Amino acid sequence: MDREVLERFRLGDEAAVKAVYDRFGGPVFALSMSILGEHGLAADATQQTFVKAWRAASTYDAERSFAPWIYAIARRTAIDIYRRRSRLVVTDDVDVPTFPPGLETVWEVFEVRAALDRLPDEERQVVKLSHFDGFTHVEIAERLDIPVGTVKSRSHRAHRRLVEMLKHVEEA
Amino acid sequence: MTPDESRAHYLASGSADTPLDHERLDLIREVLADPATWAEPPPGVADGLLAALGDETTPAVAAAPGGRARWPMVAALAGGLVAVVALVLSTISVLDQERDTVVAMSGTELEESATGQAAVRSTDAGWWIHLDVSGLPPAPDGQYYEGWVWSDDGEGVSIGTFHLRGGDGPVVLWSGVPLAEYPSIWVTLEDEDDGPEASELVVMTGRIPEPAEG
Repeated sequence: MDREVLERFRLGDEAAVKAVYDRFGGPVFALSMSILGEHGLAADATQQTFVKAWRAASTYDAERSFAPWIYAIARRTAIDIYRRRSRLVVTDDVDVPTFPPGLETVWEVFEVRAALDRLPDEERQVVKLSHFDGFTHVEIAERLDIPVGTVKSRSHRAHRRLVEMLKHVEEA
Repeated sequence: MTPDESRAHYLASGSADTPLDHERLDLIREVLADPATWAEPPPGVADGLLAALGDETTPAVAAAPGGRARWPMVAALAGGLVAVVALVLSTISVLDQERDTVVAMSGTELEESATGQAAVRSTDAGWWIHLDVSGLPPAPDGQYYEGWVWSDDGEGVSIGTFHLRGGDGPVVLWSGVPLAEYPSIWVTLEDEDDGPEASELVVMTGRIPEPAEG
């Protein structure tokens, strides 16, 4: 993220908040979907996350990485919504703290989505067709009407970029 | 693996994915196959954020250097949104851009195509909630929609019922409880034979932004 944008974000500048949403809206929504599992609730969580981030902009230290900061706000927001939702569904008098399932993987979801959003569109498309839709390179070539060699080279470039961008997740 | 080594591997094996790639990608393969990873936020989120921030005053710190012209696009979009709604919906009351809070409403997985907004205003009689939705089908016979406001402690208060069998249109609901304490607005699908409690069939949600601090 551009340092100047982050500095303006820290000062509460709305245009910078918009730029931050363009960059992190996808990862925050993916994280929210991972925790909440419903588009409507995830949309609510995403909106709340950015409003909270904007309000708390003065607490952001521009010397530090931005992703973990907004990730922490998003995770907390989604868990809060999950808990409220659980209370509505479970009619139990005992107020036991509840945690959503799969919470240990939300950081990976957030980081992987952030990396995917930085891939060129044609490479991102190949990764999605391969890993999410489960198509082979030949099937992808047929679907996109491009040579298999092009699919392979895009896949190769995309994977290397992902591996590079996600090194820190692997090491964490 | 250097680029030359990578190219050599590709030429030798016919695969663009090196063993090193596979080893590392195994770590994230499960995440790449997760639908959540690829989920796209609906356009309403950006609109709702614009409206929410447009409704806010200054955040906790001073404005950016150079003046206080804060995100003019936000104000223009939020104002424009309200203006369009006010033009189209001439019933009950004309929306008041100065006094109304606009809340983005999104469909849940039960009604993913539903979208809309709620204009909220404090009046002497209570909280006036002007719900304008599209993509929400008419309630089936024997069922109806019910608006709710929820507190963060999980308390829900009904704010009215409707069915939309006359088509999409504005719905006016009222809340007698303060929305600062009941900030979440939900729409549920209810069965006429059920009791007064909220059903689990939540079809739309939205949340009133908290007042700005400072």
